[in-house]
Amino acid sequence: MAPRRLLLILLLAAGLPGIAAAHHSFAVHYDGGRTVSVSGVVEEFRFRNPHGMITLRATAADGTATVWRVETNSPNVLKRRGWSEDSISAGDEVTIEGFPAQDGSNAMRVYRVEFADGRELIGQRPAAGIER
Amino acid sequence: MRRSTSWLVAAAAVLVVAAELAPRAVRAQPDDFIVRWSGFWTVRFERAPSGAELLERLPDDVVLIDDAGGGELGAGEFGGLKLSEAALEAVRDYDYAEELLPENACRAPSVAFYMQAPFPMEIHAGRDLIVFRMEYFDLYRVIFMDGREHPPAAAPHTLSGHSVGRWEGDALVVDTTHIAPGTFMNNGFDHSENLHLTERFELSDDGTTLRATQVYEDPATFEGRAARYMAWTRRPGEYILPYDCDPNYGGELER
Repeated sequence: MAPRRLLLILLLAAGLPGIAAAHHSFAVHYDGGRTVSVSGVVEEFRFRNPHGMITLRATAADGTATVWRVETNSPNVLKRRGWSEDSISAGDEVTIEGFPAQDGSNAMRVYRVEFADGRELIGQRPAAGIER
Repeated sequence: MRRSTSWLVAAAAVLVVAAELAPRAVRAQPDDFIVRWSGFWTVRFERAPSGAELLERLPDDVVLIDDAGGGELGAGEFGGLKLSEAALEAVRDYDYAEELLPENACRAPSVAFYMQAPFPMEIHAGRDLIVFRMEYFDLYRVIFMDGREHPPAAAPHTLSGHSVGRWEGDALVVDTTHIAPGTFMNNGFDHSENLHLTERFELSDDGTTLRATQVYEDPATFEGRAARYMAWTRRPGEYILPYDCDPNYGGELER
């Protein structure tokens, strides 16, 4: 009997779920101990639960482009912090500071979004004293 | 004949008195609790728990999990709990990528996790029922206050389970069973369908702060008992928002 199938049988016998899914965890996927900043142009902003998403294209001095996925807190939480689905638009030039992905991919959880005109949106504030 | 009739009358009188007393016993709380408990409650982020008396009431053997209100535990962290071998095996086998699949992205947690999530709730209190409307995943729970018991073990299990409550002075004590398996620590550690949950809710004297402890027993997944502490602040005039979870979210993150 395959080990995975045997495991499933044992779990069911114990009243445990099989392969259940957790909600996308900040602590598991992002490094809350430091932040990184990336400047670029917004390609897309989606403001839906369970998390919003900013797609950001950053272009280096040599012309190399990198696409970042910036996850936000739940839009419900952010609405109470002044965000709306119109807060960010495709084409906006922004600098985003956030908590980098644990796996080193071009992804982060947003802390703040700073616009060219100085406007700022706050997502999830970092703990005091972390590396920035 | 007259003697047996007297006995029948006496027995009927006892039954009537008992029937009258039983509902009153579970409705001992004065009616103003309907106003005092009902309303919009938002999570109160506390650097140190303000509900010391509530924590002191916890049994000595309880392990207090320090992750409530969004303070999640990382991969492989279980807040001091000793997991069963089956639970550890399930954690080791957990695939984080699967939680981003459309069929999983909007899978809601159970009452063992959603009560401490950093989202507000509305309480609608009545004498026989208390309803909690949670903003998180548009969930709700019903607490029966009419003295009923839990259904048979084979009755359906749901994310909110079956809750029966009673008043202990001004405190609301709730016992919940029939909870469907779900995330317990948001890191691949799930509780079983046999989780037993007991809660104690207390309102501050000025009615502005609600505090609670949840105590969990689930021998299939961890040894002994565990607990969480949580607190909310009343905000008159506010309402919970629709959650309307979008299952396509995971695909956006993975593109």
